[in-house]
Amino acid sequence: MNSAGKKTDSFLTLKGIRTTFGTTVALDNVDFEVKEGEVVCLIGPSGCGKSTLLRTANWLTPPDKGSVILNGSVVGSAPSGRINRTEARKLNSFRSEMGMVFQQFNVWPHLNALENVVRAQLVVAKRSKELAEKKAVQILIDVGLEDKLFEWPDNLSGGQKQRLAIARSLAMDPVVMLLDEPTSALDPELVAEVLDVLKRLTDEGMTMIIVTHELGFAFQVADRVAFMESGKIIEDGSPNVILKNPKTDRLRLFLDKLNTTAFAPS
Amino acid sequence: MSIDFSIFIEYLPFLLVGFWLTIKIVAGALLLGLPFGLVLALGRKSNFFIPRFAATSFIEIFRNTPFIIQVFLFYYVLPFYGIRFPAEYVGTVALAAFGSAYFAEVIRGGIDAVPKGQLESAKAIGMSDWQAMQNIILPQTLPIILPPLTNQTLSLLKESAILSTITVQELTMSGIRVQGETFRPFEVFIMVAILYWALNETIATFMRWLEKRANRERGSNLHATRLKKAKRLETLT
Amino acid sequence: MKFDINYTFDALPRLLEGASVTLQVALLGFLFSVTLGTTIVLIRNILNWRILNGIIAIYVSFIRGTPIMIQIFLIYYVLPVTGLNLGAFTAGILAITLNSAAFVSEILRGGLASVAKGQFEAAKSLGISGFAFWGKIILPQTFIVSIPPLVNEFTQVLKATALLSIITVVELLRVSQQIYSANYHPVEVLLGTFLIYFALCFAVSRSASLLEAHWQIKRG
Repeated sequence: MNSAGKKTDSFLTLKGIRTTFGTTVALDNVDFEVKEGEVVCLIGPSGCGKSTLLRTANWLTPPDKGSVILNGSVVGSAPSGRINRTEARKLNSFRSEMGMVFQQFNVWPHLNALENVVRAQLVVAKRSKELAEKKAVQILIDVGLEDKLFEWPDNLSGGQKQRLAIARSLAMDPVVMLLDEPTSALDPELVAEVLDVLKRLTDEGMTMIIVTHELGFAFQVADRVAFMESGKIIEDGSPNVILKNPKTDRLRLFLDKLNTTAFAPS
Repeated sequence: MSIDFSIFIEYLPFLLVGFWLTIKIVAGALLLGLPFGLVLALGRKSNFFIPRFAATSFIEIFRNTPFIIQVFLFYYVLPFYGIRFPAEYVGTVALAAFGSAYFAEVIRGGIDAVPKGQLESAKAIGMSDWQAMQNIILPQTLPIILPPLTNQTLSLLKESAILSTITVQELTMSGIRVQGETFRPFEVFIMVAILYWALNETIATFMRWLEKRANRERGSNLHATRLKKAKRLETLT
Repeated sequence: MKFDINYTFDALPRLLEGASVTLQVALLGFLFSVTLGTTIVLIRNILNWRILNGIIAIYVSFIRGTPIMIQIFLIYYVLPVTGLNLGAFTAGILAITLNSAAFVSEILRGGLASVAKGQFEAAKSLGISGFAFWGKIILPQTFIVSIPPLVNEFTQVLKATALLSIITVVELLRVSQQIYSANYHPVEVLLGTFLIYFALCFAVSRSASLLEAHWQIKRG
């Protein structure tokens, strides 16, 4: 759980990350930090490594070299040999504190909505059934799914499935949320409902890393925006600078391609 | 050729005793073979070399050799070590071992068919490999593996006839004995064949009915479940 | 009796002779069964007479619903009673053929279904029909698609030949029974037999996957 409110300078640090897939270099010696309560958006062309970087944070895609530190404790350090059982248990414990939301939702179709949010609480956090269900109901109400508690995921819309996925992660009381293009697989009219939930989370002070193409949303909620290309972070700064006054040509090109009249001026 | 119908009546009870033993043996082989098949499937997918090599070897060996040889080896090897079991037990274990290799491949196919994102979301939320398997992956394999598992079970039923070669008094052996007494192979073996065939068709039809029901249930049945849900909701909020 | 691997090696030459009989039986049986299976598929699709289709359906259901051993017994013991005295070897091949043909016909049925329907329409519009249609266009595609399950069926046939030992065909298993009933070392001899069967089946399925991979590259 959240450590006793101690504010270290960097809450989540990714240091010296180098990841290759065969001969392709996905992440080229990347350093990345997030402060507590910060909301950072990762943007960049497809294949630039932003998703890989996100998945490095919870060691879902372990790097070849580098380390990840969460609130002073080492989540993972590479290169390392095969991890033993205690290390695996520590990693699972870290992961339960890092809520991850996927582009393809990945809700569990054989469990209804409530069970989706309850299961990990029971199995990973080892809470009692009453506590877990109470918490699940509360969070599902918060994300606007109060009338879908016993619904099967197959009967939910894309936006509802994603909100369910968010609820599922929130039930574990995460200290940081990792979101991998949370709205990219949604029909346009369903995007807003998910962004609203995320915006509320940022207002509540959740530390978040969001890989996204929604530049308008990034401009609204992000404390920082980082632009990546070819496995490196090219620019990293406030949304105002990154999105409206890009320093590098590569970022300028990228923004032009995305036709950046999409977001409202400040 | 004339058909002696009295044979049917006179010897059917005897055949049914053997038939009953066949059923018990196949049931026993399922009871032993399915769990072990699961173990093999998980071992096959293990990240560690030894379990993976052992499981793969076992599966390949039992799938690439005739069952009758496996039975003979089981039958002759055990006394070597001074172990003497009744033939039915040896036969059941042999059938279970044979079946488990095929079950393992079916289960493995089921696990591979579950989308990768399911495992990822399970791990990302902090589940261990085994928790992810138990809670998220394996339940989703059930509808996928049920038809091929049924086929495999029916295959076991037919292979069980081979146990007659090690003196197990199952259906085929019973048929052989009756034929030895009556010298009417057609009547005897047709009866035996029909008994196997009838059980085969019954199980197959039952499974097809089960499948149709399983596919219907998800969408419908709404009213009853809605009432149940409303009641539960009150207690939670 | 202590396990002595020498018995395995000593038995090997005779076992290999038996293995050649096994291969002969398997290849012959499979050849006939593919022929019969293809004929069945053609009858079903070209003639499409209800009576024939009914007979075929019963035949397939019977084969798939009963043990091979019983089918072998029915052919070996019952046919002489009707006056047809075939001898063990022929009866064995007949039983294997009839058994395998049912499965082959189902395999080809599946393969046929996956050959694009457009093929039928394209051929019709080009005026190709009848035997040319089937022989040159449909069947080749059906077979190519059906190769993996057909190879699997061949390994099933290979394994089934072992059952012919029961009706005195002198294939691999029968030879090994002759050997160990003389030297009282069933485990060592059976081990050799076991390994030979494994080598045969394993070789068949592995070379098939290699062939398949090779062809994929050629076609793709």
